[in-house]
Amino acid sequence: MEQSAILLWAIVWLVVWGTIGGLVTPRIYARKDLDISQASLGGAAIGAALGPLGLIPLWWKTPQLRNRLLVFSGLIVVGILVIAFALADPDNLCVVNGGFVVSQLTNGIVIGIIYGLMALGLTLIFSILGVVSFAHGEFYMVGGMVVYYLGATPFYESFTAGTERLAENTGGLLGFVNYLIPPLLLLLAACVFTFVVGVIFERIFLRVMNSGAVDRPGEYAILVTFGLAFFLQYLTQALVGANPVKSQRFFDFPRAEIPAESGGLVKMTPGNLTLFDFVSIPNPRFTAALIAILMLGALMWFLYRTWLGKALRAVSQDRQAAAVTGINPDSMNTLAFGMGAMLAGLSGASLVQVFSWLPQVGIPAAARSFVIIVLGGMGSLPGAFLGGLFVGLVEAAGTGCIPDTTRAAAYIPAYGMIILTLVLLLKPTGLFGREL
Amino acid sequence: MSRAALGWILGAIVLLFFLVAPVAVTVSPYIMHLAITAFFYAILASSWSLLAGYGGQFSFGHMAFMAIGGYTSGLIGKFIRFTTAPTELCNDFSLFGNWWLVVLKPRDVGTIRDTCLDLAKTSTMPQGSLIVTPPVWATVLMGVVMGAVFGLLVGGLVLRLRSTYLALFTIGFSEILRAAISAEIPITEGQSGLEMLPLFPGGVSILGQTFNESSKIPPYYVMLFLLIASIALMAWLAGSRFGLFVRAIREDEEAAAALGVNIVRYKVLIFVVTSTLAAAAGAVQAHYIGIITPNILIILQMSLVISMAVIGGLENIYAAAIGAIIIQFMLELLRTSFDIGPFTIDMSLWRLVFFGLLLMVTLRWQRNGLIAPLFDRFTRGNVARETVAKRQVAAVPAEEAPAQSEK
Repeated sequence: MEQSAILLWAIVWLVVWGTIGGLVTPRIYARKDLDISQASLGGAAIGAALGPLGLIPLWWKTPQLRNRLLVFSGLIVVGILVIAFALADPDNLCVVNGGFVVSQLTNGIVIGIIYGLMALGLTLIFSILGVVSFAHGEFYMVGGMVVYYLGATPFYESFTAGTERLAENTGGLLGFVNYLIPPLLLLLAACVFTFVVGVIFERIFLRVMNSGAVDRPGEYAILVTFGLAFFLQYLTQALVGANPVKSQRFFDFPRAEIPAESGGLVKMTPGNLTLFDFVSIPNPRFTAALIAILMLGALMWFLYRTWLGKALRAVSQDRQAAAVTGINPDSMNTLAFGMGAMLAGLSGASLVQVFSWLPQVGIPAAARSFVIIVLGGMGSLPGAFLGGLFVGLVEAAGTGCIPDTTRAAAYIPAYGMIILTLVLLLKPTGLFGREL
Repeated sequence: MSRAALGWILGAIVLLFFLVAPVAVTVSPYIMHLAITAFFYAILASSWSLLAGYGGQFSFGHMAFMAIGGYTSGLIGKFIRFTTAPTELCNDFSLFGNWWLVVLKPRDVGTIRDTCLDLAKTSTMPQGSLIVTPPVWATVLMGVVMGAVFGLLVGGLVLRLRSTYLALFTIGFSEILRAAISAEIPITEGQSGLEMLPLFPGGVSILGQTFNESSKIPPYYVMLFLLIASIALMAWLAGSRFGLFVRAIREDEEAAAALGVNIVRYKVLIFVVTSTLAAAAGAVQAHYIGIITPNILIILQMSLVISMAVIGGLENIYAAAIGAIIIQFMLELLRTSFDIGPFTIDMSLWRLVFFGLLLMVTLRWQRNGLIAPLFDRFTRGNVARETVAKRQVAAVPAEEAPAQSEK
């Protein structure tokens, strides 16, 4: 009891000085006629980090709040929290076992990459259509459902058996490729399906936004995407029922140890990958992260190297100017919505082997994506990716370190909401936001 | 008789029907239950339409405020007692005189042992000391206050920003609340639900007639009067200067701000008012049902309220309320299943698919909803004709005057 009070007092200290810093600093900066866009965040960060020792010189000198200063004080805040936590609960697995911490963090990054991919779809839609799609979670859910139910068809099973036989006959690298074909086809099917649904929806329901046929298009978009979410969720439930399903892992790791017999660096079993003997990554998560990274690479290539991608980015920067140069903004809208839906569908498709899948599974995922895009800055692609990593890390730390495990699991969505609240309070534009 | 007068008379007849029907004829308890639930949804849908249709602020957390009202009322009823002697076993707070405020301790997970008050009654408390449960109206009132407080907190945090942020934040807020209620089993009983006192413990007698606890007639009138009161309040707000400001903000925030409307204050105010109404409805409904579970917070409930408001008419609180009542009855009628050849169609799911589709289609092609246009036919039917006539009158001299002068 005595010790957990330390953590409580540390949090009270951070909150009190953070609040004072966050409230007073913008006033002082405004009085001195300085830039106040960072003042509230900077004041809160420095106040929380150093307390009065930091705030008094800050208010005295009112330096320009550079990012370096903010990151530095942010790190101090994290440091205070970590030390207070370690003092408060010295027997915790997170404090005693360094390997566990690294393992948790690795898993946080692995899952964060997939969160980032999903949020990237949402932010892509927002940057081009100016619309937050409330059906994003449902595309995620549908992607997973397509993979599971296609994978359960008899045709797919015989097809898999065929390719496996082929793989065994050919052997070697070519055999391994044969082995990968069926799951890749499943992913492709999920992508195509969600893309098509997204395109159809955009053509029917969102195309009218730009023609002036609906008044207050922003509000219309919120409601109509929410309606799509409702529709897709219950359509899925009516078609396949509400039992949780989980698909097989896409492929097994080969059994291997590198270097051989060392018990050390890299160890692979069919369901697990162990690095340095203590970082353990389950196969399904690893596969999902690998898919996400490949997809991210493909997306970057598409956005920065192809004509269509450049056209998309042009529309997101300036609709009218893009239209003048011969880009049809309406088709770019359709493409962006379809691609956003596809990215969500692909994240779902790659995670259906990790989590058990329900028609309702999209809601927390969508809520997490909202947190990520607000954190990263609405419409910012790198922001979405970094935000995804950050949220993944925070969730891993939260679930791993909070002693009451059932409660820690129940509150997973809450960690994201705390981040969201802080971002909205301190820096509503997010990390890389362009405008409010 | 003008059409507007006909509209008013029709409205009065409908209202009279709802007021008289349960006492005039014997209505089956099932229909009464449906009616009470329909009124409950009508309050939610019409207050949401005030927020979204008039204010242009899209909250997906309306059900969360409803749950805050219900759970606050239920938790106060469960954990707070007034006694004339300290219990020693619970948390006692001394009040005036020899009265004590007792806060019961949450029970441990997995035990069904007596509460600390039950233990105290037999051991530490003197014989004959009184134990008073807070009255239901007071706990409901506290639920309403709590709804307003949370409305102020959420609104104050998010409404400084664009309206998209409100939608993003409230959807998460609602999910968190659901997670918290499900997880804090010692306090909220989690998924098994928090039991609530009936609205009138021990029955009630009105006008010489006594109704017992399980009678549906008193809750029916409570909910109906709550509906009428909240619609009256909202109609007054919508028609006042405040309503004009709010609509100005909806149409163009920058322009409204430039004309001197304090946009954040009015947005927060309308958010607080509608959240409070939702909390009131939630508290009364929870007491009527007798149990409240975190499942009222699932997105489906929010989707239904939105469908009701949109299909009724987003920019008309009366239409949203009537839409809610009609849809609630339709949802009940569609709770069937039938067979087409070898397939059994479970309508209890397909009806939701249907309403989802109807929501999208209504938004796309009939933005004003399906019921609001009927209203306009009655209440504003003459306005269009009069305007056309006035324009013609105004236009005729202007066109004919030069023609005459040429002659």
